Amino acid sequence: MTTTQPTPPARLPRQQPPAPGRDAHTAPGLDASRSDTPPWLIVATREIVVRATNRAFIISTLLTLALIAGFGAFSLWQSSRTTTYTVAVSAPEGARLVSDAAATARQDDDTVAIEARTVAGEPAARALVEGGDAAAWLHAGGEGWTLTSADEVPLGLRTAVESAVRSAALETNAASAGTSVEALERGTTVAVARFDGEAIDAGFVQVATIAFALLFLMAAMLFGQQIAASVVEEKQSRLVEIIATAIPLRHLLAGKVGGNSVIALGQVVLFAAVGLVAVSFSEWSTLLPALSTAVVWFVLYFIVGFFALACLFAVAGALASRMEDLQSTTAPLTTALMLVYFASFGLSGTAAVIASYVPIASVVSMPARILAGETAWWEPIVSLGIMAAFAAVTVVIGEKIYRRSLLQTRGRLSWREAYTAPE
Amino acid sequence: MADHGDLDQTTRGEWADLEVRELRRDFGEVRAVDGVSFTVPAGSLTGFVGGNGAGKTTTMRMVMGVLSITAGEVLWGGRPITQADRRQLGYMPEERGLYPKQPVLDQLVYLGRLRGMSTGAARSSVLSHLERLGLADRARDHVEKLSLGNQQRVQIIAAVMGRPRGLVLDEPFSGLDPQAVDSMADLLREHTSNGVPVLFSSHQLDLVERLCEHLVVLSRGKVVATGTPDELRSTSVARHRLVLSGDAGWVRDVGGVHAVDVDGSSALLEILVPGAERDLLGEALRRGEVREFSPQRPTLAQIYREVTA
Repeated sequence: MTTTQPTPPARLPRQQPPAPGRDAHTAPGLDASRSDTPPWLIVATREIVVRATNRAFIISTLLTLALIAGFGAFSLWQSSRTTTYTVAVSAPEGARLVSDAAATARQDDDTVAIEARTVAGEPAARALVEGGDAAAWLHAGGEGWTLTSADEVPLGLRTAVESAVRSAALETNAASAGTSVEALERGTTVAVARFDGEAIDAGFVQVATIAFALLFLMAAMLFGQQIAASVVEEKQSRLVEIIATAIPLRHLLAGKVGGNSVIALGQVVLFAAVGLVAVSFSEWSTLLPALSTAVVWFVLYFIVGFFALACLFAVAGALASRMEDLQSTTAPLTTALMLVYFASFGLSGTAAVIASYVPIASVVSMPARILAGETAWWEPIVSLGIMAAFAAVTVVIGEKIYRRSLLQTRGRLSWREAYTAPE
Repeated sequence: MADHGDLDQTTRGEWADLEVRELRRDFGEVRAVDGVSFTVPAGSLTGFVGGNGAGKTTTMRMVMGVLSITAGEVLWGGRPITQADRRQLGYMPEERGLYPKQPVLDQLVYLGRLRGMSTGAARSSVLSHLERLGLADRARDHVEKLSLGNQQRVQIIAAVMGRPRGLVLDEPFSGLDPQAVDSMADLLREHTSNGVPVLFSSHQLDLVERLCEHLVVLSRGKVVATGTPDELRSTSVARHRLVLSGDAGWVRDVGGVHAVDVDGSSALLEILVPGAERDLLGEALRRGEVREFSPQRPTLAQIYREVTA
């Protein structure tokens, strides 16, 4: 009879209780429960996740982005608004030049209008300009013409007037030289191609340099301090002792530096991209190609420079035993960074050239020189090579000090003590 | 190699003894640990006892490789311990602390992964331990929001998760309530029953006496006693309590007997010469009534005071 058959024995093994003391976490079978992810990658991933989900970090990033975007929006609004410049003239030639300039300006940018207002002479022109009713006074002076204003001649106006004066002069000169304007024009087209606005260019370079310097200083200080603080956090809580027994300290350092570098770089690239978009809406949009090249170099320098700094900040953290020590152990770094910051736009001439080869200072100085068009093609490459070498040496020495000081819990160490301490 | 057992015994199965030999550590002029030797046999719960500054933490840190060794060595399964061996040990440092602003689950999984566990394995191990120690509902909380006792439990999980092959725990019971001590003790016994050697330090002598099969007593950087609690007791001088009907002051004059304490009609005595108790008792009966004469089982605290004196 089939109904009397016993329960199939196949079910029995399942009913056997597990071996005592061997629950899920102690079960054998290493294949699925083990992982080959290199420890530094695990550390780096944690650093990135912790930083990227930090509220203060998110807020400060958004605020900075809003600031940059705000600059772009302001520029856009500025450029879409029709600007009318009144130019005081005291001679009919002047009035004719102004109407030529108006035509040129409209051709370039239809939001710019220029109109002439005839005045009797200098005192009247001066009164008009200083009273704000005219942007400038165009009058003959020396060989050519002079545009006199109360403070600065607006860029659009200046370019247009210059162009008009040039065209008029060309016509006259061509006629007197017995040649045609066309024959001469090719040579002048280059001069009129807005590369002669040297004063503006220098100002733009200055602004961009300060932007680079600020970006770098902000990132280095912010992330540097965070790296140092996270090292002390682990050290103070002795978490580092648990980690040190699990993975080589070299991996901990590499993960920290790598993770923070990635997130700092991500932030800077984001800022730079939004900044470039903002510039494209500004009156400097014609300089975008040159600026983009400089920005790419800046990002390259940033990667290498930040890597070295991140390592040094980690060492500064390892030298401290408590959060309170951080201020003094990071002091040499913050001082150096401030020097770099001021040197980046305070230096000129030979000093600026030298700075563009000095590691860390070159992060800002070299892209600034590239932007100004002062560099030969090989210069950034050599300078970047010097910085890469510096970063490599820093990482090697930093790793050594880091390892030696990380497990020292008796007070604050000096950089020298840590370097000479036994392992 | 004959002096520390044959290899088959020390590497029973996949488990090994943890041994320190002539370990020394100097901090400048100060010798914090001075020639310390002892063995934590596989599968044993070994209590590491000593006063403040005796050198327990320093010894444990050297065992775990977070403090460099001035002289001596640490052996695992009879051979010098390597960093790879240490990676498989669970360690709980003296000072507590985890990432205060990270959720409990996340950081335990992180620590598990650093020890080579996969994310899935680390997660399930953490969750089952949290459940077991009554913290299942706190998995998503930041560590800083937990009470100190609960932070301690989290720290314990960090040490015991992922099948450690040995455990080195510095004061694992401090700050735990009696219930937590019990569940913690069960957890440790589970590991020792699987063959894991467990070394833990404590100043709670009653606790050590209750839990440990094996004891190492440290004083001023030196091992002053080692063995099972019973072995330690046998080295102690036998004490007897004597209660008389009259004054017990005369016992001070009996030869071969040391009066540790005399209080009115009762006295605590150490028998220094075997047989002296017979003379003592005879004299006592001659003088009056003997209400009590009993051997005293020494407490660990008493032994501790003796050996560290």
